Amino acid sequence: MAADNPAPLTRLWAWRFGSLVLVVATWAAVTTSGLVPEVFLPSPHALGTAAVEMVTEGYKDRPLWEHIGLSLMRVFTGFGLGALVGTALGLLMGWRASVNAVFSPFVEFLRPLPQLAYLVLLIVWLGIGESPKIVLLFLAALPVAAVAARDGVRRADPTRIAAARMLGASDWQIFKHVILPSALPEILIGARLALGIVYGTLIAAEIIAGSTGLGWMIVDAGRFLRSDQVFVGIFIIGFMGLALDRLLVFVERRIVHWAGR
Amino acid sequence: MTKDFSGKDFSGLGRRGLLGATIGLGAAALGSVGLARPHVARAATTINIGFFTETKPTNIVKAQSLLEKATGQTVNWTEYGSGAEINAAITAGGADIGFGSGSVPAAAGISQGLPVILVGLVDDIGPAEELTVRASANIRTPADLKGHKIATPFGSTSHFRLLGLLKTNGLTQRDVTVVDLRPDAIVAAWTRGDIDGAYVWAPAKSKLLANGGTVFPTWEKLDAAGYVVADTILARTGFAEQQPQAVTALLRVYGQALALYRNQPVEAAQVVATAAGVTPEVAASDLKEYNFVSLRDQLTPEWLGTPGKPGNFANVLHHTAEFLAEQKSIRSAAPLAAFQKAIRTEFLQQALA
Repeated sequence: MAADNPAPLTRLWAWRFGSLVLVVATWAAVTTSGLVPEVFLPSPHALGTAAVEMVTEGYKDRPLWEHIGLSLMRVFTGFGLGALVGTALGLLMGWRASVNAVFSPFVEFLRPLPQLAYLVLLIVWLGIGESPKIVLLFLAALPVAAVAARDGVRRADPTRIAAARMLGASDWQIFKHVILPSALPEILIGARLALGIVYGTLIAAEIIAGSTGLGWMIVDAGRFLRSDQVFVGIFIIGFMGLALDRLLVFVERRIVHWAGR
Repeated sequence: MTKDFSGKDFSGLGRRGLLGATIGLGAAALGSVGLARPHVARAATTINIGFFTETKPTNIVKAQSLLEKATGQTVNWTEYGSGAEINAAITAGGADIGFGSGSVPAAAGISQGLPVILVGLVDDIGPAEELTVRASANIRTPADLKGHKIATPFGSTSHFRLLGLLKTNGLTQRDVTVVDLRPDAIVAAWTRGDIDGAYVWAPAKSKLLANGGTVFPTWEKLDAAGYVVADTILARTGFAEQQPQAVTALLRVYGQALALYRNQPVEAAQVVATAAGVTPEVAASDLKEYNFVSLRDQLTPEWLGTPGKPGNFANVLHHTAEFLAEQKSIRSAAPLAAFQKAIRTEFLQQALA
């Protein structure tokens, strides 16, 4: 923890930078010396060449931005719908025990289920267009968001609810002014978790009749052991994931600035 | 450690000395295994074969344990999802043999300098992989494919043929939507009506044909244009050097399986059917689609040739690799000589001797 060990910020940055330099230097050394064959680990130079080629010429008949755009569209639609529906459901489940009783068996069953398990079923039910991909991501996000929202509602302080009721607040007013603010931090943590899971499921989703998207690109490049292209794909998908996560942290800080204080 | 090693005088050597002694002993042990005649190596080594569950005589070899009987060695049969996966396993040293790898992954692997050689053929694919289109879609000429969705497993020999079909007819993947689906998913998508065609092999192909599909013949023209596809027997270079007798034995027993199929087709189909989990009728009709080139014919100039006299198959692989490089699937195609060097026919000759 930074609070326990008050190292100057610049020193921490130096460590961070140093670790990156060390890894890249080792990487360059083992690949250029021929110690590790190109198929196992491409050299930084080969990676750069592949990256430039993919940026300028695209990948398999499609520009790179199109692959990135399609992946982002799938992630945002699947995550957006899943988080929205999941949160609404979770709030209801936390607020009314009967709703919880109805939905929790399904949510609890769905949550740990590996998405690859029902991949072929989605093709049979929904075909090979965008819908099975988005539904897969939706189903990945929904249970996580629902459970987080439900737990958030349960965390609301009963004495505050009782106090609000004493002051004559209606159910809706209690929900809006007492329960929702208490549940918000949990909901946003749930959203962050859900986004991570959706993002991780992207490759599985894009295996369905692909030929577009970053996930498919990595799988396709792997088919011919094009480790250079695989690495470029991994870097893109990794940095985008980092950016998306930071975006959510930013949103979290804006909305629930009081959390953790 | 034995008692002598823990003695006091030995500890005087220090850690480095101990390490050196261990390495020395290890090297000696390895050396003795390498130098020893087969009966010593036989007991210690396993043959790792990567294969596919297919309706082919390759599965007779497995089902009847022909290789185990011929060599007395343990054979570890591992099923892979694609030839590309076998390439990766061979590179990592996890597989010694790719039994039935397609010519496309073979050409890619040789071009990429993987430690792999081609020691024989399983079959010439011919009409066994073919384009099937929905009869109701009225697709008569290649130009009619425009605007339709055609599925194929990417990276496969079928994918290669389909792209060859588009290219030779001046079509691009913008005109025809080519989607990447595994054979079982192709059947599902076809049943739902999501695709109007598929370039695939049996049993998926037979299911499409039984379900409103019709054959759109492409293979003869594609073969003539150089898009020949075949299934091959690949060996890890290091394995072939250390255990040439195992490679020869595999080719010999594959020859036996082919002979069984030729002489007793009904019985062979029965064995293949049990191994692949289909009915004997299905196995028999699937088997008929392939041209299983006999070991002797593989040594003709039309196919692999003989040592010092490379056959036409090196050209086939070279052309395949050039196409893959053009598609940017591999970085560059190896020169023809590299393929001629990677096709090693001496094992076939020994198997026939």
